[in-house]
Amino acid sequence: MAQDSQAPLDLLAVRTKRYGATLVDIIKEHKDYRKQIFQLAAVDLLKTYRGSALGWLWAVIKPSVTIFVYWFAFSVGLRAGRDVNGFPFFLWLVAGIAPWFYMQEMLTQGSTNLKRYDYLVTKIRFPVSTISTFVSLSKLYVHAALLMIVVVLFVMSGNPIDVYFLQLPVYIALMFAFFTMWSMFASLLSAMSKDFANVVNSFVTAIFWVSGIMWDVNSIKNPILAKVLLFNPVTFLATGYRNVFIYKRWFFQDTFALFAFLIMLAGMFGLALYTFHRLRRDIADVL
Amino acid sequence: MSPEDIAIQFRHVYKRYRLYRNNKHRLLGIFSKHIAYKEVFANRDLTFAITRGESVAIIGKNGAGKSTMLKMITGVAFPSSGKIEVNGRVSALLELTAGFDPEFTGRENIQLRGQLWGLEKSEIVTLEKEVVEFADIGVYIDQPMRTYSSGMKARVGFAIAASIKPEILVVDEALAVGDKAFREKCDRKIKEIMATENVTIIFVTHSAASAEAVCQRGIVLEKGKLAFDGPIRAALDFYERPQEEPVAAG
Repeated sequence: MAQDSQAPLDLLAVRTKRYGATLVDIIKEHKDYRKQIFQLAAVDLLKTYRGSALGWLWAVIKPSVTIFVYWFAFSVGLRAGRDVNGFPFFLWLVAGIAPWFYMQEMLTQGSTNLKRYDYLVTKIRFPVSTISTFVSLSKLYVHAALLMIVVVLFVMSGNPIDVYFLQLPVYIALMFAFFTMWSMFASLLSAMSKDFANVVNSFVTAIFWVSGIMWDVNSIKNPILAKVLLFNPVTFLATGYRNVFIYKRWFFQDTFALFAFLIMLAGMFGLALYTFHRLRRDIADVL
Repeated sequence: MSPEDIAIQFRHVYKRYRLYRNNKHRLLGIFSKHIAYKEVFANRDLTFAITRGESVAIIGKNGAGKSTMLKMITGVAFPSSGKIEVNGRVSALLELTAGFDPEFTGRENIQLRGQLWGLEKSEIVTLEKEVVEFADIGVYIDQPMRTYSSGMKARVGFAIAASIKPEILVVDEALAVGDKAFREKCDRKIKEIMATENVTIIFVTHSAASAEAVCQRGIVLEKGKLAFDGPIRAALDFYERPQEEPVAAG
């Protein structure tokens, strides 16, 4: 039994054991419900695009309009769209913004998961930890479709698939891991407090503009700032996709960037586990 | 009594809700112990065991902690302290109109529920057929559930809950489902499930007559505590006993 007079080391051992048990629970829930996770990802897609005449096409129309607007504003309006590494500005833009659409969806909708699926939490006995996973998976399906279009776009404009494309799965996996954990953390917090959901929504645009999706992070002259920016996971991932399509670099070439991202990934893991451990049992009472 | 005979076991179960002054305090309260809150207990120190095949009535006024207890039995809420053991597949006829995705049709919701339970494709086909037939809401079954009346939702809800062949059936009598004809159909279905061997029944009611008709045992809850546990007649007498102290205003 835990007592107040326990030595700090014992307390640490008790905590580690409890959080370890929570982690085991999460893994077990995913194992037991793996079939349902894939089915629910498909259900989530259906739910998202249901009720509109154009249905699935919106998954392509929305990003296309956004890309066109940015390309128009930068190339035609601001006349800032220079070629990067021999690739036209338009292709450079597409390569970095494609993962952003997934990240944006996960930042906003990923943090409102539990409200969207409140009936799975409060009315049915269902493993809550898997909700973020199947929602993230559903967004990943859309991302995969978009990525396919991007690859076709590159091939059609005379840039064949090369060996650097092999690292796409690595970036996709890292992005999926980071944002699924983010979603677990954020959806629990926004279920507890509306303020949190509002904070996320008001920062999404800011994150977009500071993360080097619309400008080349390699052009930063201040060395300290350049290093600090690498701790932004969005920057790492958007740059990663450009490493594949534009810069032709390997993900392990910039060790500092990789380690900075892995630190953030570990941090997000800790945050997600901590929040889940603390709130899992209370969440049905507040939703 | 061997442990396999136990369907539901509560050991010193408390359910505590923390009431914060506002949303901001609730958010900060997650991370800090220094945020003030009020504690209310929906359940206090509940200890009892229900054996397989027993029918137990849960009796108590509004706010006595019945719903909280049922939620913990069905596994959607968790005790703040104490231990709960539930052995067997639970089907709850509680809020029949809840637990559906409003964007999906009735038929899709049936399939979704089948998937959530992890059923095989062929099992889902059977489930769908059974539920559609029992709910009997005609062409509406293929319309989004947000367009349903509460009666139609309850019909689908009841049909789904009754279809899973429960080992533990939780029935809240407060659910007045649909019209007279459908209610009678529901009663027949509940009786049919009850007649199955070794099904445990938890029956929540305000009506003494129906409690006595269904249950042998009664548990009376008062202000979250177990006030009486015994044969149904004695439990009802206890519940309906003249109150000595005057009831506080409000």
